[in-house]
Amino acid sequence: MRQLPCPFCGARELREFVFHKTLPAAASATADASADEFARTYLRVADPQLSVEHWQHVHGCRAWLLVRRNPSTGAVLAVQMLSGTAP
Amino acid sequence: MSALPASARHYSAWSLLRARFAGSGYWRPLWAGRKLKPAYDVVIVGAGGHGLASAFHLARDQGMRRIAVLEKRLVGYGNVGRNTTIVRSNYLLPENHYFYEDSLRRWETLSHDLNYNVMYSPRGVVDLALTDDSMLALARRGNAMRLAGIDAELLDLAALERFAPELEARRKRRFPIVGALLQRRGGTVRHDAVAWGYARAASALGVDIIEDCEVTGVRTAGNAATGVESTRGYVQADRVVFATAGHTGMIGAMLGTPLPIETHLLQAMVSEPIKPLINSVYVYVSPGHGETYICQSDRGGLVMGGHLDGFPSYTREGVWHRLEDVVQGALELFPRIGGVKILRQWAGTNDMTMDGSPIMDRLRYDNVFVNAGWCYGGFKAIPASGAAFAKFVASGTAPDLIRAYRLSRFASGHLLDEPGQGPFPVRL
Amino acid sequence: MSTPPLRRGTRIGTQWLSFRFDGRSYPAQAGDTAASALLANGVRLMGRSVKYRRRRGLLGAGPEEPNALFNVGEQPQLIPNVQATLLLLREGMSLASQNRWPSLRVDLASLLQAGGGLFSAGFYYKTFIWPSWRTYESLIRRLAGLGAAPLDCALPHVAIEHLACDVLVTGAGPAGLAAARAAARAGARVVICESEPVCGGELEFEGGHIDGQTAAAWLVRTLAELESLGARILTSTTVITDNGGEFIAHAEPGGLPGHNTMYRIRPRAMVLAAGALERPIVFCNNDRPGVMLLGAAERYLTRYGTQVGRELVLFANHDRVYASAQRLAAGGMAVRAIVDTRGADALMTGSAAHVLRDSLVAAGVECLAAHAVISANGGSGVRAVRVAPLHGGPPRKIRCDTILVSGGWSPALHGGFHGGAARAYAPPLDSFVAATSTETRRHAGSANGCLELGAALADGHAAGARAAADAKATGHAGVAPQGNGDPSPRLQAFARSPAAPAAERRQFIDLQNDVTVADLRVALAEGFSDIEHVKRYTTLGIGTEQGRSSAVLGAAVLAELKGESLAAVGVSRSRPPYQPVTLRSIAGFHVGDAVMVSRRTPLNDWHVAHGGMLEPMGLWMRPRYYSANGANPFDAAIAEARQVRTAGGIVDGSTLGKLEVAGPDAAAFLDFIYLSKASTMRVGRSKYMVNLREDGMVLDDGLVLRLADDRFLATTGSGHGTHMLSHFEHYRALHWSGRGVTVTDVTEAWAVIVAAGPRCRDALLQVLDTAWQAPIGRLGHMDFADGSHAGQALRVLRASFSGELAFELHCRPAGAVALWEALLAAGLAAYGLEAVDILRVEKGYLTGSELNGQTTPFDLGMAALVKQGNDCLGRALLDRPAFHEATRPRLVGLRACDGRSRFLAGAQLTTAAAPDRPQGFVTSSVYSPTLDQWLGLALLARNQAEGTQLMARDPLRGSDVAVHVVAPVHFDPASERMKG
Repeated sequence: MRQLPCPFCGARELREFVFHKTLPAAASATADASADEFARTYLRVADPQLSVEHWQHVHGCRAWLLVRRNPSTGAVLAVQMLSGTAP
Repeated sequence: MSALPASARHYSAWSLLRARFAGSGYWRPLWAGRKLKPAYDVVIVGAGGHGLASAFHLARDQGMRRIAVLEKRLVGYGNVGRNTTIVRSNYLLPENHYFYEDSLRRWETLSHDLNYNVMYSPRGVVDLALTDDSMLALARRGNAMRLAGIDAELLDLAALERFAPELEARRKRRFPIVGALLQRRGGTVRHDAVAWGYARAASALGVDIIEDCEVTGVRTAGNAATGVESTRGYVQADRVVFATAGHTGMIGAMLGTPLPIETHLLQAMVSEPIKPLINSVYVYVSPGHGETYICQSDRGGLVMGGHLDGFPSYTREGVWHRLEDVVQGALELFPRIGGVKILRQWAGTNDMTMDGSPIMDRLRYDNVFVNAGWCYGGFKAIPASGAAFAKFVASGTAPDLIRAYRLSRFASGHLLDEPGQGPFPVRL
Repeated sequence: MSTPPLRRGTRIGTQWLSFRFDGRSYPAQAGDTAASALLANGVRLMGRSVKYRRRRGLLGAGPEEPNALFNVGEQPQLIPNVQATLLLLREGMSLASQNRWPSLRVDLASLLQAGGGLFSAGFYYKTFIWPSWRTYESLIRRLAGLGAAPLDCALPHVAIEHLACDVLVTGAGPAGLAAARAAARAGARVVICESEPVCGGELEFEGGHIDGQTAAAWLVRTLAELESLGARILTSTTVITDNGGEFIAHAEPGGLPGHNTMYRIRPRAMVLAAGALERPIVFCNNDRPGVMLLGAAERYLTRYGTQVGRELVLFANHDRVYASAQRLAAGGMAVRAIVDTRGADALMTGSAAHVLRDSLVAAGVECLAAHAVISANGGSGVRAVRVAPLHGGPPRKIRCDTILVSGGWSPALHGGFHGGAARAYAPPLDSFVAATSTETRRHAGSANGCLELGAALADGHAAGARAAADAKATGHAGVAPQGNGDPSPRLQAFARSPAAPAAERRQFIDLQNDVTVADLRVALAEGFSDIEHVKRYTTLGIGTEQGRSSAVLGAAVLAELKGESLAAVGVSRSRPPYQPVTLRSIAGFHVGDAVMVSRRTPLNDWHVAHGGMLEPMGLWMRPRYYSANGANPFDAAIAEARQVRTAGGIVDGSTLGKLEVAGPDAAAFLDFIYLSKASTMRVGRSKYMVNLREDGMVLDDGLVLRLADDRFLATTGSGHGTHMLSHFEHYRALHWSGRGVTVTDVTEAWAVIVAAGPRCRDALLQVLDTAWQAPIGRLGHMDFADGSHAGQALRVLRASFSGELAFELHCRPAGAVALWEALLAAGLAAYGLEAVDILRVEKGYLTGSELNGQTTPFDLGMAALVKQGNDCLGRALLDRPAFHEATRPRLVGLRACDGRSRFLAGAQLTTAAAPDRPQGFVTSSVYSPTLDQWLGLALLARNQAEGTQLMARDPLRGSDVAVHVVAPVHFDPASERMKG
């Protein structure tokens, strides 16, 4: 994995992006407002096949992205724009 | 005093001379050749630095007899053999500096304790400051160390020039150097020797070290584990210890317990050997490319590392642009090494906790223990970790030295966030 | 210097040049490498080994060379560890051997080898324990190392080139060229990386015929065709690593850093045709100068016309040795004997090799079957060889000056690019090939085990055609070239000659690191039996040639000692880069001043021109003080701060981060981001606000201005601007995507000048255009309004971080200098950041070091803000019990008990009862000219009440000062000055 497909910009070099955090594996694109804030902030469910992450195309279009990757192979499974409902 | 019983070969110049005439048959395996038994008092998962040191101290100090260390691949194949070999105790928070100082004191005598030369080299660890503000932050840290009885010196530019002429501290730089915090007793240790030395000493004390044996599950009854499933079959265990570094998150998943840990990659690299040039360990954080640390091994290679690759990974394949960052930092410090060549680059998987400090605690079951979350600083912790954790596992009570490393601190707020970075292994 | 006879070769010209080696001058021909020229001059001793300092000569002719490494050039501009085999000589070049003292011929440390057996594997782990390693370390460090440590480096910048292509081919030997041709014919865009300066690979000396032409003619035609098809051929360029589908290649023409290029190549498909590495056979004293690889001798002869010796003995385990022997003999060298480890029946009757052997025998060459070279005789160079039948019988001596060895070929798998992908044992090679080819990566030619020319061409063609198809090229690849060259090697595995146990100490596997068969035995005896363990324990294959000559050989010897197959033993995982690469090449152009951009404010040039002493703050450059105000920062800052308090001053605040948040949901968004509410502010009002990190710690502080109902300007700390922008954008995306909030970074759209001091209002009113003077004159504390200066729009905010009446003027960058100079003309003086700190600390404002990511709003005296109950980001985790314990810090002020002693930020605060247990620390301290004493701010345990006496302990800087705890606001606690 040395490129990420940005929904706006297409496949771009990894160095244009910055990773911010992982989500609990079960979390969907929609942040679950009722989820326990502590767990959301601190706990991680390690799944060697799936990591769900927030990235920003910081040296590009600056879009925030929801990225699904396989951390054991580096394969990018899906990238979409980050979105959710009001807190 | 050596901890080894007579069954092992004592190492000395004399033993080498004897072997010279007796041939290679003189030497004995350091740990190899043991058979896995059906039951143990303690089963330790992971023959890295922490697992092996824990086994050694359980056997030597805690009087435990039946101990096994189960290793998926090879002794010392993980981070203990992949790090940049730096040892130091220059931490800010008391919970950390007392612990790491205990470790540093053990490093000072470890070669004697293990009768194995781990090549502890107290050549000084120099944290460089690029602004007056960072100089003050280093002063805060250094003063905290000094009050705890730990050696620390604040070097202004003149003192830095005297201590580290190779640095050319006054050289014109994009980010000029202002001063440094020096810990003279900090330095380096030959990493592989630590794994092998502990494995040999533990084995001599009766610990069974079993390689190519992957633990695949834990059998439990009520609040307790009864043993582990492995690729070599079921092993009964009164206590189970996990010391699996970058794979700790998966252990949590295996036990159904999410942990405040993410696994990230950290790269390191070494140059071709050259004659002595860099005499201490230099740590340098620039606003541009983040962290670079550099030292020169006794073989002559320049050993360099930096910050994390920047996203969770189990692949052990570093990304090239992080390597560029580290090299750019190294050249900012030592422009003269521009013509020296990089020989090898590798990466290790790091168990990053959400406050950057380790976790030594029970894990879900009364008799399951986890020694993890060492982030990128686990190597220097090995001797203290082994001694204190062995006491914990044997007695069931965490010694004062590691009590702060409990898992509940994240929920209670007793965080040990040394850099103040919050629950993010990678700074945004 | 008499000129020797002219040599002829494919890579050298007729022009003479001269170079120096270890102080002596030698002639060379243009195109010579250091290795070929030294050999031609009869120099054989070129280096010393690392551990035993044994004398060493050339083993190879390319990147596999472990012995002949030189320091090139003179200090301070010296380049160490340059392989003589790659170094193209230039006129006047100066080379020196390494790792010897006082000279290459006489080296004192070589006496160490007398103790040979002592220094076996694991030696260092077993000795130097008493009294400590440190006792011996500095001597050992000086003995170790290879080349000299450079004193300086003036290498030029490295070019960086990004390439995208359909098919990347590594290696321009027969298979690589066939692959490239097939792909290019099919319409693919092709890039070829060839490590050598010229293309052709084995074709250069092997000869043979392709498609009815000589190999040399086919090479010329194929290269021309590739060029016409638009293929890009990069010579002297080695692919060094796989960066996840992007391949990093490094070009170092001439074998010396200088005009290097780093390529980043992103192909759709790849053909790996980097050839195979010849491996030696181990025998006693096989490290003597004069023991070389067979293929190397052929290369020296063909390329440079250099004869590697006069009397040769060839030692091999395959058919190819006979063809080589004939070519070497034709090149004028006397082949004394060919020692074949295989039985007499190994050569098939009527085969090409058989025919060759017969003619060699007829020409007087002794051809021994089922024999092995047992040892080399001669100290500083081979003088004879001892050979013995493998199945019993006495050894005998054959006079020679050179032993050429060939134990077979190991495909160059470039392990680095596979991420450790599986290898498979290939019995015909007694080595390893890639276990799997993926759609995007195919091995071809000898890298794929096809050592015969015809097979390699066919294999390369097929791989190229399929790669082109994978890359969606639709053309026709044409027909594979037909070729015939040297026969199949038909090798029989043979890694080392028999030896008595004592002699195994002189059977070398890794020449650079002096790893012997005896070392492997020791490792095994001690239980290091996995190849990865053996590598680490013995240092096998970790030399600068990346294990090219020793990795597979070492594994084969290990297999023999373990009684296992090579397939079971495997080889150790190789690490990138495949070829060592200089730090300068990796750094690219990000070195020196270009290491990182500098951010400069619109007033930067004014500061510089007027004695402003700039200091980096993140990437920003900001003036600390102005040299006109004092000789050092301390004195200048005092003068500047005094000026602000007594009259007035201006400071450049342009580095403040400025984020404009707009839209119908802007207020709700900021209510979520900040601890206190933005939605309750009226337009034209500003508010000091802090925001929290997800875990409840204070992240940043700044002023938020409500520009309109639906528009706010949030300012951030100077060092936090980029972080805060991402933070805002993150939560905008997460919770407000598709709704009415935008976040725009306007940091560089506004210059900021802060005017502060009792006379600043007067000065400001003088400067403002008349229409604005009255409204601005009435402006209330924390209010802002529009204004203009010289017709340029301004935003004027009345806010103070100095305790003085103060105005923040936001103007467009283009007008900043004019406004600044107008304010100066109106009687204000410029001050820098040191003075800002004095003013802030006097007034008890946070200076930045309190926002260290470890403090909650409670710690910073903002409990009242939390109580207002805004349910903002980070609020939920503030209720954790530890944040409310009596040992948590709070912000306090400090003064020295004696009213005059200095105490510094970074000092730890202790009580008399527990002098070693810090209760807090000094976050900032200044000398206050206003109060004529040192003042400080501190974070101190809450249970230490105001009035308490503490020690500010500062052992690092030598002073312990008694201080007492006071309120953080030292000056004008009622804020009459700034609100007046």
